[in-house]
Amino acid sequence: MIDIWLILRILIFPGFAFILLLTLFCDWVERKFEARIQNRVGPMVAGPAGILQPLADFIKLLTKEDIEPRDSKRIVFKFAPLVAFTIMVFAICFLPIDGASVLSTGGFNGDLIIILAFSTIASFLLFLSGWASCNPYGTISAARVLTQFMGYDIPLFLIALTPAFIVGSLSIFTIASGVTLASGQTIPIILLAPWAFVLFIITMQAELEKDPFDVPDAESELVGGLETEFTGAKLAFLHLTRDVQIVFGSALVVELFLGGPYGPVFFGVPAFWYSLWFVLKLLAVVIITEYITTLFARLRIDQVLSANWRILLPAAILSLMLTVALVTWVYPLV
Amino acid sequence: MSNNKIDIISVVQSKLKDKVEIQLGQLGTAAINTTNGLHRDVLKAMIDADEKTGLTAITGLDLGANLGILYHIHTSNDFITIRAEVPKNNPKIQTIVDLIAGAAFHELEVSDLFGVIFEGNELKGHLVLSENWPEGIYPLRKDVIANEVKLVPAPEERKPPEMGKLVKIIIGPQHPALLEPEKFVVTVDGETVTKVEPRIGYVHRGIEKASETRTYVQDVYLVERICGICNACHAYGLVAATEKILKTQVPERAKYLRVIDLEFNRLHSHLLTLGHAGLEIGYETLFQYFWRDREPIMDLIELISGNRVYASLMTIGGVRRDLKETDFPKIKTTLEDLRKKIPFYRQVYENEPSIKARMKNVGTLSREDAIKLCVVGPVARGSGYDIDVRKDDPYEAYGEIPFNKIVYTEGDTWARMNVRMDEVEESINIVLYALDHMPSGPFRVDVPRNVLAGEAVSRNEAPRGELFYYVKSNGTAFPERVKVRTPTFANIPSFLKTAIGENIADVPPNFVSLDPCFSCTDR
Amino acid sequence: MFKRTISHLFTKPYTTKYPFVKPKLPEGYRGKPEYTIKACNMIELCGNKGELCFDVKSLVNTNCTVCCRDCPANAIEIVEVDGKKRPQFDLNKCIFCNQCVDSCPRNAITCTDNYELATTDKASLIKKPQPNAKEGTKQ
Repeated sequence: MIDIWLILRILIFPGFAFILLLTLFCDWVERKFEARIQNRVGPMVAGPAGILQPLADFIKLLTKEDIEPRDSKRIVFKFAPLVAFTIMVFAICFLPIDGASVLSTGGFNGDLIIILAFSTIASFLLFLSGWASCNPYGTISAARVLTQFMGYDIPLFLIALTPAFIVGSLSIFTIASGVTLASGQTIPIILLAPWAFVLFIITMQAELEKDPFDVPDAESELVGGLETEFTGAKLAFLHLTRDVQIVFGSALVVELFLGGPYGPVFFGVPAFWYSLWFVLKLLAVVIITEYITTLFARLRIDQVLSANWRILLPAAILSLMLTVALVTWVYPLV
Repeated sequence: MSNNKIDIISVVQSKLKDKVEIQLGQLGTAAINTTNGLHRDVLKAMIDADEKTGLTAITGLDLGANLGILYHIHTSNDFITIRAEVPKNNPKIQTIVDLIAGAAFHELEVSDLFGVIFEGNELKGHLVLSENWPEGIYPLRKDVIANEVKLVPAPEERKPPEMGKLVKIIIGPQHPALLEPEKFVVTVDGETVTKVEPRIGYVHRGIEKASETRTYVQDVYLVERICGICNACHAYGLVAATEKILKTQVPERAKYLRVIDLEFNRLHSHLLTLGHAGLEIGYETLFQYFWRDREPIMDLIELISGNRVYASLMTIGGVRRDLKETDFPKIKTTLEDLRKKIPFYRQVYENEPSIKARMKNVGTLSREDAIKLCVVGPVARGSGYDIDVRKDDPYEAYGEIPFNKIVYTEGDTWARMNVRMDEVEESINIVLYALDHMPSGPFRVDVPRNVLAGEAVSRNEAPRGELFYYVKSNGTAFPERVKVRTPTFANIPSFLKTAIGENIADVPPNFVSLDPCFSCTDR
Repeated sequence: MFKRTISHLFTKPYTTKYPFVKPKLPEGYRGKPEYTIKACNMIELCGNKGELCFDVKSLVNTNCTVCCRDCPANAIEIVEVDGKKRPQFDLNKCIFCNQCVDSCPRNAITCTDNYELATTDKASLIKKPQPNAKEGTKQ
């Protein structure tokens, strides 16, 4: 039996269409914010205040000519961006957006691990797409993606385990609901472990490949990095994959630390208020990451590696140890 | 004036006595006519006497049956030209690359454009001409008419991609890191650079040849368009050399107005480079801030000359328009506003960790290498080699205006950027002083259109370094030969040396710190 | 850097929103050169281009093709209109240096601040002086 309600949820809200529109909206917010910090106006002409600009860019790329180099590996070249995009959207479908996620109402124990695994696979697919283009710029950029990704993946997992440890479960729904205090109030995890929040934001910058960890996409040394040989529709999807990755990373921060979509409900349907709080918190995280992007220059790959292995990894381990200590001895008193 | 001022002329006179002819006051401090390969002996005598001897340019001339070669040498206190001649049917001469390492590119250019063979110079191939230029036709000789040369198909360069440990990355003609097209083939081992092979000449427009078919008045505009960023300095170079031949006395007010135009040029160029450096290391915010602060300077250039970029203020005999007293307050307030912003940028360069991580100890050039490779401009002053034409050989009103020479000793990218930042402040001081002490009077004198026969050189300090012009006239309204030596042409060999051993990610900041302007290099 | 970036969020952007807001141009801006018929009318033109050796100051026997000879871009061509020789400006080639303004001994050419000269019709950029024009009309 076909469940019309489920299909509508997958395709329109909070599924595919909603995620696409949210991605384009977050792209616009990023560009306007970066422009205002740099004392200029951002997109202005397409639509009121330029809000249709990301859509216009997407459509423009779809109309351009699609060229494939003779030496590229055809199947991987064609499908790697598309598969990465699919996996990212699929991973977002596990997160609670309006109180319930797209696919199920309660989640299951362990879906945090599945989501982190999806993000790893998607990064690996981006590396493959650069590798398959058989271009010296793409090759070096793909090698840098892999080097950077090996460095930050371990701290990412360790720090993502901190909220799981505080709450005591590996299910996203439970973590997003926050911790219930003895007085009956629920508080988001950021208030209990703020150091983990800061470290997670920094590691998320590295995963999303934004400044200062912008190395694989270094425009001034490697002309386009991974994207050099992609044109036309494939490039449109590659850009969309990057933007969806930003939404995914920010959504993960929101779910893990900021209490997910849960917030005060004033009147009417709770699902509406939950989605509203989700979007607002997401925009806040997007603005924070974009601000860090504008504040710093790009580091070299060897400096990124030394930052990862010498600073982030020990910090992640320390944070986990601190959380364990606090949970075991301090929090039961509260 | 230092205590041990070396008198190069008497050194040469004592060593070579009657074998060479010395004409004082011509083409700089003196012109030395040599024959039969004696140019090497003269040069060796100069280098032994003064360690700061370097080559400014090598000019080729078509003298009918012979080809003339002029070596323009600068020493600590003097500027000397050594003349040599070779017959056209056997144009061979000894090289000076073993005496001055930075002469390789200059000699290759003369052999490319005139057909002189420098024995001992190992560089082969074309420097500024393209691959499909026919062999045996040398464009700057008088018998070649540029429009009638037929191009041949270029030899095919189809090589299979090399597999192996060393990867060749082509920072190719079109690249986001470069403002203008040039090709650099960088051989990389992992992430370390082992060799850099340049190929310049993509922007060669043949301006030196084109200037011979246009009158002097038209040439000022042609030469101004060699480079968009340092356009006033090019115009000034031609104008100053022509005025030296004509022996005109430029009025005092025109001298001060020219200084103001040249310093505005320096201001906007340095702000451009400082922003561009930010873009290369991925720091877009700094780039946008610098260029926002550059906009008032462009508005000021528009105020004094009518156009934001090509000021076209210089003309032979003075400047083309006057600066009204009512405009002075606006210029002063804008410059004072810019001066207030400089401490913020200095503090960013001092304290920002990502800038220090990317720019310190990157592309270090030692002082000895700087002197040997004859680099000029902020690249030299960042390595402790203190040359500045405005102080060493004052022109226009620079002799009367007090300012400091900025020298840093570290020699890396960070030092060169700081040199430019401090020079911005010095330029503001110079302009304000010039406005306060502006003499009154005419701003232009009339000059005849036919320039009597003669030759002259002029040097001035463009934002990127020393810009050199040589003009030869023959009594008509058309010049016989105009030779331009631009500062980036002298600085590129230093990049080939400093890039080796560095990370590939350091190549863009290193490159931008020498402030390349390829339109100037190729002319 | 931190304080400066935050403060920029609250300041007005520096951009001039052209074409909705036009920039304010200074006096003496070099735009399109404009030719007045009156001044050039007063000279008898002899007709041959002649040699290039003369002095700017002496106006007798001046071949008033100075603007044509001095133009660096060869954008001025002398055409015959109403039996007299007049300059024709080709704005395709003009570099707006205003050397013609400086060279004209009768100050017949002035510079305006018109810079919005883009058009879709290339032929309309060749400004030929109109026949039967009265004295004092500008082209």
